Amino acid sequence: MGQFIQFAINGLMSGAIYALIAVGIVSVYKATKVVNFAHGYLIMFGAYFYFTFAVIIPGQDWAPAWLASWKPDWMVEMREGLSMFSLLGAVLDWAANVPRIICGLIGAVVCNAILGRVVERTLMRPLMGQSVFAMIMVTVGLISILSGSASLIWTADAAFVPHIAPNTPIRFELFGSMIFLFGADIVNMIIALIIFGSIVAMVKFTKGGVAIRATAEDQSTAYSMGISVPKIFSRAWVLASATGAVAGAILATRNGISPSLGLFGFSVLAIVLMGGLDSYVGCFIAAMAVGVLEAMTQWKMGGEWAEIVPYVAVLVVIIFRPHGLMGQKEVERI
Amino acid sequence: MTLNRRTFLATGAAATAVVGTPMILKAQPAEYVLGASLPLTGPFATAGQLVAPAFALAQKMFNDEGGIAGTPIRFVTEDSGYVPQSTLANYQRVLATEGKACVGYFADSTGAMKLIAPELKGENARLMGSTSFASELANPQTNPYQYISGPTYQDQFDILMQNIKAAGGSKIAIIYSNTEFGRDPLEHGRATAERLGLEIVLEEATKPQGADIPTHVTKLAQSGAEHCILQGYVTGVWPQLIGGARQFGLPIQFHGTFWGMEKLIADRITKEAGPFLAGYQGVMPYRYFYDRENAPRYEQYAALSKAMFAGTPLENYMSTWALQAMCGLELAMKALRDTAEAGKELTADNVAESLSGISDWDSGGFFGGPVSMNNNKIGTGRVYEYAPDTGLFTPVSDWLST
Repeated sequence: MGQFIQFAINGLMSGAIYALIAVGIVSVYKATKVVNFAHGYLIMFGAYFYFTFAVIIPGQDWAPAWLASWKPDWMVEMREGLSMFSLLGAVLDWAANVPRIICGLIGAVVCNAILGRVVERTLMRPLMGQSVFAMIMVTVGLISILSGSASLIWTADAAFVPHIAPNTPIRFELFGSMIFLFGADIVNMIIALIIFGSIVAMVKFTKGGVAIRATAEDQSTAYSMGISVPKIFSRAWVLASATGAVAGAILATRNGISPSLGLFGFSVLAIVLMGGLDSYVGCFIAAMAVGVLEAMTQWKMGGEWAEIVPYVAVLVVIIFRPHGLMGQKEVERI
Repeated sequence: MTLNRRTFLATGAAATAVVGTPMILKAQPAEYVLGASLPLTGPFATAGQLVAPAFALAQKMFNDEGGIAGTPIRFVTEDSGYVPQSTLANYQRVLATEGKACVGYFADSTGAMKLIAPELKGENARLMGSTSFASELANPQTNPYQYISGPTYQDQFDILMQNIKAAGGSKIAIIYSNTEFGRDPLEHGRATAERLGLEIVLEEATKPQGADIPTHVTKLAQSGAEHCILQGYVTGVWPQLIGGARQFGLPIQFHGTFWGMEKLIADRITKEAGPFLAGYQGVMPYRYFYDRENAPRYEQYAALSKAMFAGTPLENYMSTWALQAMCGLELAMKALRDTAEAGKELTADNVAESLSGISDWDSGGFFGGPVSMNNNKIGTGRVYEYAPDTGLFTPVSDWLST
């Protein structure tokens, strides 16, 4: 039982990250009816922006020393003699990085939001009123533009970034089994859940959210009711890019920085289809289910199966519910 | 034209010269071309972009030495994006544009080598090296024109397991990426482990990128392994697995194979995440670039790097990935030069024959001593250990052969 819980928690932690990635795809779809195939690459840009503001800029000669490593005397004294994997040692190591982590996160969110806005204004808005298929094809083309640009700007060099939270090991006994968890993964999961919950609440309870839902329902009617549909489009892209930046930063802390980060978006597309393209809650359930299924399959059947079984589940769901777990039936499939 | 004594003699002399000239001179182009595909974009772009400058260095060095029997060489390198079909297309393009002047090719993956292998027939055959250490390619019967510039992954597993056994290890785990690259030596590894009396307590496949580290580390913790071999990774997953295991407090000794043994990556991880790679070991077919004592070829590379790459990180350090490409090119050049010196045409058959005949070759420092091509590979290497405080991999075993 203890082991089951261990792998279930591992799966939930992965699932939360999937959910954070999925929220961007759903947001753009809800507002514009466009399936954004390039979302993974927007996330990759977010990861590179985090790398820029948390590693490259603090490492410059002109940057203040405290930005790269904040180590007041009292911290140096406390740190002495502690192992890097002890609870206090890990917290102090993280604390020294806090200024650049904050700089990285703010920089990533702002820059990615600007990128999202630029993409929407220059590539998507001119196509408003045209076939949705054309807009989807533009997102496919955007993949090449974004991956090529990232290689030009940052090169393809592999790099590593600081964890957003202290990566302290957490151990406790449950049902006779020792449970091991990574502190940073738990915080990542909490961040992902908070962002996800905030967006869902925003869409449900705020004026802007109502406008998004109205636009999703019927663009012409939304227009006639005084809603600025182009603004909604723009907001959706900015929202997707900003949340994508946080997702990118988290992914970069788990896997390092490389152009292959962009590929994550494709696996999450399957999860979004399972949940329902226009349903935040459906996608959340699907993301958690796939995360747990992956972990359980890895545990019981091994890695060869772990890459197949969850997506077989996605297929089964789509066969029986073509609109996804909680998607609207009239949603047009692609 | 009136035929008189003078014109008769002149025509006769010219005809004799043409008929008497060896075939090789008649067929010899103004320059020889060696094509190459590199993953300058795509998932392994980090490696591709570090390897690319080695080709410029090699071209200058080989030409300064007289090319192939006095004929200069030129490299034609193209991006493949790590897509085997693109490598095949690049190969076909260089054959179409350069024809017989193209005398060799460097491919960038096992997949590309396998895809191109059936094409290497008759006029389309060329000697072909690559970044791959795939065991399946080291077979002159099935792949006569393709070669491995070092030990295969199976050989590398053998070397690691010999070393683990010598260190008194008994329980090992194998964590590998769920790719052809990752799975390559598994079956052979099982047989070697059994032969050496090692127990494999865990075989765990992971995604090649973005693996679920907590889940893999949990399984590793439960396995009770003393040693863990990591196979099929380049820049990612392996450092996170080791970091995760150290956080869990697992005292497991980790071992890598060639592509997971790059100092640049280990240094970057140490700088960003701390010195948790201390003690990480792995098999390396070649000396590291900083180990240049009694390595005259490395000294030549160093002098050229200083001149050609001044002001860049490549000025002082050549990555292991670039060294692997250089070793492959050195082998190809040796085979080509041996063939030309023997007065034979540089056909794929002749060059492949020269390659398989390489014996007691003094590589100038790549390997511990003279080496020979055996089954189109060089089955030797040694185990190195990383020390974060010095940022160096240093040898912990003698040169081991399989």
